[in-house]
Amino acid sequence: MNAIKSYGNIITKNLSDSKKALAYLKLGLNIAGVYLSLFPDRKVPASLQFLQKICVNSIKDYFNHPDNSMWVNIFSPTEILHAMGVNPLFIEAYSGFLAGISIEGQLIDAAEAAGISNSLCSFHKVFLGSGELNLLKKCKMSITTSMICDGNIGTFRYLSEKYQTPLYILDIPYEYNKENVNYVKNQLQEMIRNIEEIFGRKLDMDRLKEVIARENQSKELLKKYLENLALKNLSTSMTYELYMLFASHVFLGREETLSFYRMLLEDIQRAPDRRGKGIFFIHVPPLFEKNFIKYFNFSPEFSILGFDLNYDFLDEIELRDPLEGIARKLLLNSYNGSFDRKIALIDMLMEKTRPDGVIHFCHFGCKQALGGIYLLQRYFREKNIPFLTLDGDVIDKKNNQEGQTKTRLEAFLEIIRNR
Amino acid sequence: MIGYVCKYTPVELLEAFGEETVKIEPQVKPHESAHDFTHVNMCSYMKGALEQILEQNLKEIVLVNCCDSIRRLNDILKNKVDFLHIIDLPRKINNETDRLFYRQIELFAKAYGEYKGTRLKTGRLKEIIQSRRKEQIPVEKSLVIMGARFEKNIIKRLEETYGIKTINLTCSGNNRLSDTITENNVLFSYAVALLRSFPCMRMVSDRRAFLQSLPVKGIIYNTIKFCDFYSFEYANLKKTVNTPILKVETDYTDSESGQLMNRIDAFMEMLETKSVSRKTRGKRFFAGIDSGSTSTNAVIIDAEGQIMGYSNVPTGAKAHDSAQKAYNLALKNAGLTKEDISFTVATGYGRISLPFANKITTEISCHGKGAYFLDRKVRTIIDIGGQDSKVIRLDEKGNVLDFAMNDKCSAGTGRFLDFMAKAMEISLEEMSQVILNYHKDIVITSMCTVFAESEVISLIAHNTEVKDIIRGLNRSVATRAVSLLNRIKHTEKYMMTGGVAKNKGVVYEIEQKIGAKLLIPSDPQITGALGAAIFAMESSD
Ligand code: SF4
Ligand code: SF4
Ligand code: SF4
Repeated sequence: MNAIKSYGNIITKNLSDSKKALAYLKLGLNIAGVYLSLFPDRKVPASLQFLQKICVNSIKDYFNHPDNSMWVNIFSPTEILHAMGVNPLFIEAYSGFLAGISIEGQLIDAAEAAGISNSLCSFHKVFLGSGELNLLKKCKMSITTSMICDGNIGTFRYLSEKYQTPLYILDIPYEYNKENVNYVKNQLQEMIRNIEEIFGRKLDMDRLKEVIARENQSKELLKKYLENLALKNLSTSMTYELYMLFASHVFLGREETLSFYRMLLEDIQRAPDRRGKGIFFIHVPPLFEKNFIKYFNFSPEFSILGFDLNYDFLDEIELRDPLEGIARKLLLNSYNGSFDRKIALIDMLMEKTRPDGVIHFCHFGCKQALGGIYLLQRYFREKNIPFLTLDGDVIDKKNNQEGQTKTRLEAFLEIIRNR
Repeated sequence: MIGYVCKYTPVELLEAFGEETVKIEPQVKPHESAHDFTHVNMCSYMKGALEQILEQNLKEIVLVNCCDSIRRLNDILKNKVDFLHIIDLPRKINNETDRLFYRQIELFAKAYGEYKGTRLKTGRLKEIIQSRRKEQIPVEKSLVIMGARFEKNIIKRLEETYGIKTINLTCSGNNRLSDTITENNVLFSYAVALLRSFPCMRMVSDRRAFLQSLPVKGIIYNTIKFCDFYSFEYANLKKTVNTPILKVETDYTDSESGQLMNRIDAFMEMLETKSVSRKTRGKRFFAGIDSGSTSTNAVIIDAEGQIMGYSNVPTGAKAHDSAQKAYNLALKNAGLTKEDISFTVATGYGRISLPFANKITTEISCHGKGAYFLDRKVRTIIDIGGQDSKVIRLDEKGNVLDFAMNDKCSAGTGRFLDFMAKAMEISLEEMSQVILNYHKDIVITSMCTVFAESEVISLIAHNTEVKDIIRGLNRSVATRAVSLLNRIKHTEKYMMTGGVAKNKGVVYEIEQKIGAKLLIPSDPQITGALGAAIFAMESSD
């Protein structure tokens, strides 16, 4: 932990000289890559150790080969990139990584100084700030979707202009119907033409089908993993749960992601039965929050059962027409469209994981999630599942109130213990 | 009557149904019932709209899939109104989206027709559209309003006060029909015209080229907290467009406050007197530095009294270092160097130790000067800073007539409130709420920070509601300020400055006690430094 802190300090000191800061970032990532293969985190099972390596390597690859990378948001259809051998840099995760080395404060200040609203979600502000301070390597292109979260388009447009990189925006309509599937499919085709032109290579449909086949297999494994969560206890932390977003989103369809899911399923099947209480998280768990770390990371008393974002689309994608399949996947995402879809997803997850309590961390600036808080409260009241909402910020630590969180969290855990 | 929120709503179509339409423009008030149904950190328009719909019992609502906030508004309103429909608005404009949007309009017409038990009469729709004239873009230089929705009455007032035309590109604008109907399919061409009307900030498009086609004198860029769309465009415009641009924040709770009008006034003054380029060679600039006990502020102005840049840094152990820091930062924000500064005036506690100041003036005079400069109608100033508070009375020329200051103790100041917030483990933001629906009227009797703290702790221990305690604390600070006020003869208009002026709760309680409104400058902490800078300008004449 201290090594990470001093690493962050070195970078903070060099923020005014972006070349140096970038060199340190790259060096740190390369070292981390080697370090993880030599000294994996023994607290977690093999699958999660492997996952951590995938994540660090993906950011490392971006630093080493920016001209074969693309900035993407979490919902981007990266299947196409994998089929073309392009490395996606998943910007929300990159922000999380920068917060992990504790330099988010300066980056947020830089974004706000440029005129970006202070009430924007910090996942975006940190990325924008790293752009302002030139802590990004210029990519060849970037893609984003309009769905679910408003901050994406603005963030991507702003940085693409600053770095003069081509951007493709996928406009995803609100409803699922035939016309909208066509609309998205046409855009996917246009996007592919742009990528082919910019990267000078062709998309091979057969390779795309292979990627999708692996994606489908991965989903099958994920569903089986889900079946085990109610009874088994996998030693994990919030950080690893967030690492899983790489597997469930931007890296889905890759060979190593499929291996990861195979390992994950084996690990949970082998895991001991759960003795303590199970806590399910909605929206993003605050991985840097001290009280949460204390009560949930590797805890036998309160196990982390997971969080909903890793399960936003579990259906199979048809191989017959992969682009239509991807269009369907985007439109049918549980967070696209009406909030009822999200509630239906959560209802399914509650049934599978049978938690003793559910915590919704209300991440500052995330209106798509916060706006539905009342509907969730109503749902959990009806289901008689203890439900706690806490306000704060997943990555901007100065927006958190440790004392207040502590009181409320402890009171809630008290209730769960006694149930 | 059907309520709507967005300018892309097919209002003419609703009129063709013979229905009265009302654009939801929430009125000034706290969003009490809205907070029962959604999170406080939603954009204030959404909360205001929700509040209004519930309170006025609007039964028919049509929304547009504009943003995360409106989507959630749609989810929350389910089963709360009789008719609810959300129209999906594409973000791209091309032939395909023309058709998609047309489908959306058609679906809406069908749904509404079914609800009403009638059908849309396209003939009637055609008549209505034809009776509308496409709004003309003014030829003379106009004020362009951009960003998030801007209240119509403020725009009207702007036009009247300054005799200037405005072009409203926000959600509240009605520049809607970009083309007259030519096609046979009325509904289709109507949908296309709607989709292709003046783009708002949410549509995916770069509006800079579009702006160039307009006669722009200046831009007022309105922002709403927790709205994600505006700030990117604003940041870009600021960097790349050479037109004067003023950013304001309105929040549907106190948008008519003097603060907003003051800023617009200053901006309008600037538009009259200033050329487009900010920096002209050989121009003279002046600096004012206010070295206070808790924060140090610096302001740089030009010869016309326009603020070029300012800063606000916490006062460290050495007043001199903090002053130097504040000064450098203000210079940086103004894009100037210290060679550009003709004259510097220092004020505040640490003023004696500032070697780079040409002249020293008391903080009383500087506050008076600064406040009077911001609004010539000010006669009484209430300044509550981190560690001290004072009240000042001015004559109609802005000269100081009388003043009073508190004793050397932090009672009733910013530090007092900081302490209490810490003791209660709440943020300063929570501390600064206006609380109307309190349960118990708590009176904090001790004024001394230490005793007050133990009083608060025992209230918490007795399960007193946090809200009630906050109100009690804010009232106690207000009481203190008013008793200070009563030591001088005070009259309207009142201005409040200093850091505590940002605490809405305290402001509200003082207003209640004196029965008058307080003007609050946009950055209340820099008033003293501003006054010092004006002294610097006058001294060098
Ligand atoms: S936390 Fe919410 S606002 Fe932030 S990136 Fe995620 S979905 Fe968007
Ligand atoms: S931003 Fe655009 S789409 Fe949204 S409400 Fe305003 S006018 Fe409508
Ligand atoms: S102000 Fe912004 S967030 Fe609020 S409703 Fe309008 S577009 Fe949406």
